[in-house]
Amino acid sequence: MTIARPRRTTTRAATTQAAGIRAVMTPGATTRPKLPMTSLNTDSVSTVEALQTAIDDLVAAPSGDTLAAAREAWLVAREPYGQTEVYRFRASPIDDTNYDPSDGEDGPEGNINAWPLGEALIDYVVRGDDFGVDELDVSGQSVGLDDGSNIINSDLEIDVELLQNTATADDERDVIAGYHAIEFLLWGQDVNMNGSAGTPRDNTPGQRPFTDFVNGVGCTNGPNTADDATPCERRGEYLKVATEDLLTNLTTVRDAWAEGEPYRTAFTTVDTLEEAKDRLLEILTGMGTLSEGELAGERMQIALSANSQEDEHSCFSDNTHRDIFLNAEGVSNSYFGVYAGYDSDLDSTDDVSTRAVDGYGIDDYLEDIGQTSLATDVAAAFAATTADVTALDATVRGGTPIDVLITEPSGDAAEPMRDSIVSLNAQSALIARIATDLDIGDASDVVDPDASECDTTDPTTECGG
Amino acid sequence: MSQIRVIGGAAGCLALLSVVGACERQPRRLDSPPIRSSELLPGGRGSTSIRPTPNFTKPATDVPREALPDFYAGRALAKQPWVRAPATTTARDGLGPLYNARSCVTCHIKGGRGQVPQASGDPLVHGAMTLSVLSARLHVSEKSPAEMIPDPTYGFQLQTRSVALSHQFGVDRETPVLNASAKTPQQALPEKAPLPAEGALVVHYQRRPYRYPDGSELELREPRFEVKALGYGPMHTEVATSTREPPPMYGMGLMEGIAERDLDRHVDPEDRDGDGISGRRNRVRDRELGGTNPGRFGWKANQPSLKQQVAAALSGDLGIASAMFPEQPCTDRQPACLASPHGTDRSGYEIDANLLGLLVDFTRSLGVPKRRQASYPMVRQGRDAFYRARCQACHIPSYTTEKNEGTPHVSEQTIWPYTDLLLHDMGAVLADGRPEFDASGAEWRTPPLWGIGLSQAVNESSGFLHDGRARTVEEAIVWHGGEATQSRDAFAAMPADDRAALIAFVKSL
Repeated sequence: MTIARPRRTTTRAATTQAAGIRAVMTPGATTRPKLPMTSLNTDSVSTVEALQTAIDDLVAAPSGDTLAAAREAWLVAREPYGQTEVYRFRASPIDDTNYDPSDGEDGPEGNINAWPLGEALIDYVVRGDDFGVDELDVSGQSVGLDDGSNIINSDLEIDVELLQNTATADDERDVIAGYHAIEFLLWGQDVNMNGSAGTPRDNTPGQRPFTDFVNGVGCTNGPNTADDATPCERRGEYLKVATEDLLTNLTTVRDAWAEGEPYRTAFTTVDTLEEAKDRLLEILTGMGTLSEGELAGERMQIALSANSQEDEHSCFSDNTHRDIFLNAEGVSNSYFGVYAGYDSDLDSTDDVSTRAVDGYGIDDYLEDIGQTSLATDVAAAFAATTADVTALDATVRGGTPIDVLITEPSGDAAEPMRDSIVSLNAQSALIARIATDLDIGDASDVVDPDASECDTTDPTTECGG
Repeated sequence: MSQIRVIGGAAGCLALLSVVGACERQPRRLDSPPIRSSELLPGGRGSTSIRPTPNFTKPATDVPREALPDFYAGRALAKQPWVRAPATTTARDGLGPLYNARSCVTCHIKGGRGQVPQASGDPLVHGAMTLSVLSARLHVSEKSPAEMIPDPTYGFQLQTRSVALSHQFGVDRETPVLNASAKTPQQALPEKAPLPAEGALVVHYQRRPYRYPDGSELELREPRFEVKALGYGPMHTEVATSTREPPPMYGMGLMEGIAERDLDRHVDPEDRDGDGISGRRNRVRDRELGGTNPGRFGWKANQPSLKQQVAAALSGDLGIASAMFPEQPCTDRQPACLASPHGTDRSGYEIDANLLGLLVDFTRSLGVPKRRQASYPMVRQGRDAFYRARCQACHIPSYTTEKNEGTPHVSEQTIWPYTDLLLHDMGAVLADGRPEFDASGAEWRTPPLWGIGLSQAVNESSGFLHDGRARTVEEAIVWHGGEATQSRDAFAAMPADDRAALIAFVKSL
């Protein structure tokens, strides 16, 4: 059914505004269209390629050194990826393959970074009253559910199809793919230094021994025999397959953002002011959603609310402080139209800047249209967030990981978490204000052009004849 | 357009200019009450924007900023997957062992409806079949509602999934994998203690042509749900089944805020006013307050409170136990299910009171989208037609919610949900034959209409009515029977442009 809709007019001022918004979407547009996202995706892929090499080395020759190298490669791979998440929540290629969320968000995200992980489905987990008093009566119930128990212990063929048959399957099976599946296989469950439960927490991450990957005699957490295809060999296979799958998915996302690809073309082609506003609103939605809903709420506040130590994004490796820092950095990147590169030696400084971008940002646009005080307020909010997530990062680098910081959600130790949540939420409010002040957000819902005749502040008013 | 009277109205006149091309005097219709400005904000002051894309998991815009962190923490519980126990994430484990979905939004896609199977032979992946044994149903008395008796093997709901590896990867020899897009590994797994899913659901559609009085035709489809591969033997011989689609989650806090007296006002079990419409409250078991209370939520008004609705869904759909529903989704005929690891934490349950509260508050705070296109001439024409057909007799348009000092965003809001939240006999064709407490097998609760026009913009494969049989609003209207027969017939007898206008109005809500 087609419904006649009042026509809009495009003025010269509107055309200029559209051009400004278009410039925001293509930082560096004066030289050559270049999105921070393109660089970031490229770096996400290349760091996972490096991870793949390290995992191949580990599987070929398991040792303390090769395991440590693979873990470090995983941590480095998180550095660019964490900055890309701001480009989610708007039907972009990672969430949706055709830029149309109504037919289902069918992008690969669920197989890249989904969490919590279905770890009990993958490999052995601690049974017993695990994690202190958090979980009761498990040992008494451990007799059931032994139809192979987990993938590593089963005869299932470990291949890419097995993994793809999970997060994005119609019936929403457990998460067994992506960064966190690899993390689990590299670190194991984060219980305690001695690998047992029921004792007080310490500051170490998961303690999986390299011998979990030793094929044949010497294999731990599996039959210590000379047989082929021991659980230890299968762990290596799983690691390789999960890394291959992650690489494929990240490559798909990278390629979909490439120039000339349908998404890139549709996203950056702006002919009218309305289209320009829609695109800018998509950008702001990604920024606001990541800041407040996803990061501050669904990844941080829930950890405090749940009062469950491992309710953190990278719970096996204790790398959650970086997830938080990098997500925040991504939001800031998106606002300022920059990408400084990523940290390759894990000292919190972006040192690989071969694909860095410094373009025309929303900050520049606000200045250009005279919204100077708004730009100042937003910049201050971003600075506050940066300070808080940097302080959190420093606290963890000082030796106390997030799972220990949040042991007492309202205690002093959790203060850097709470401060970061507050500043991320404040930042989100400012991002919403950009939309309001530029008349592209809530207030300008174009769905009812005649609404102005109704005084919605007084619900008893009659209007509209 | 019938019965119009012309009065002045400069503002409306300007707005219509570009559509009708000339500034005529604004017509005022007598068929419908005056339009209130609040109709543009169905969810009250906090009605949400649909930009950049429609999504029903947004907070109402007037949720206080200080409450938003908890809202998003609650959203994490609704969105992120619950996992098989035991897991490091102790607060998030305990899925199943038998279950239908691993998160709320798996089925309530983006807070809206689920996917309806498109063709005969397709599996039902986002709905659930409820079960109860009729012969054992206790007699209805004045004091207490009819108790519900579960199937002795399968309980109150058929859980079509299991956390067992054999089910997760489709190597159940008994349960066919009904995921067409998935590869089916064929290797055998050792079955030491098999924990099969309870079964699988497949839809079969039968075509049902419908002819309007003006001769135009509409093809309806009637679903029949086939249970395949029962994992634990036959069901009770007198089991009644009812297959239901996940309804939208938004606006429930506002519906919770409607005063009991405002709902009771429309109750007319004996049809004393002779309009052919009864309207009854269900009386259901109240797990929190004890005893019996009027039902308000669910397809048959089978839950008395939002909290119980959420806890029941956690229990029945996800297999997450709470203080309100402490049992695992296992019967004593399913020993492997009972013996499987559960996610019980220090609260003694799989979700503690604090997290359940977050999830309930999240649901309570979901905003209702603003009206769209309310001023379009066609929509206004449809508004007249809606009232002329007396749809509003059950789809009661508006309420003002009660004062609620702790929760300002649901307090004293003028809302436009278009429902009386009462049970009505909808006729034999829609009947499921499964009574639920005091609701008969032919009665359904009037569902709200707000936001309905966005359903398929959020999820294009969603459908309407309890089992998703209606692919469009038009089909849903035509399926109305029983007490709604007069309204349905009035709709059917309208000229085609009035029918189209009425549909446009409903979709604008």
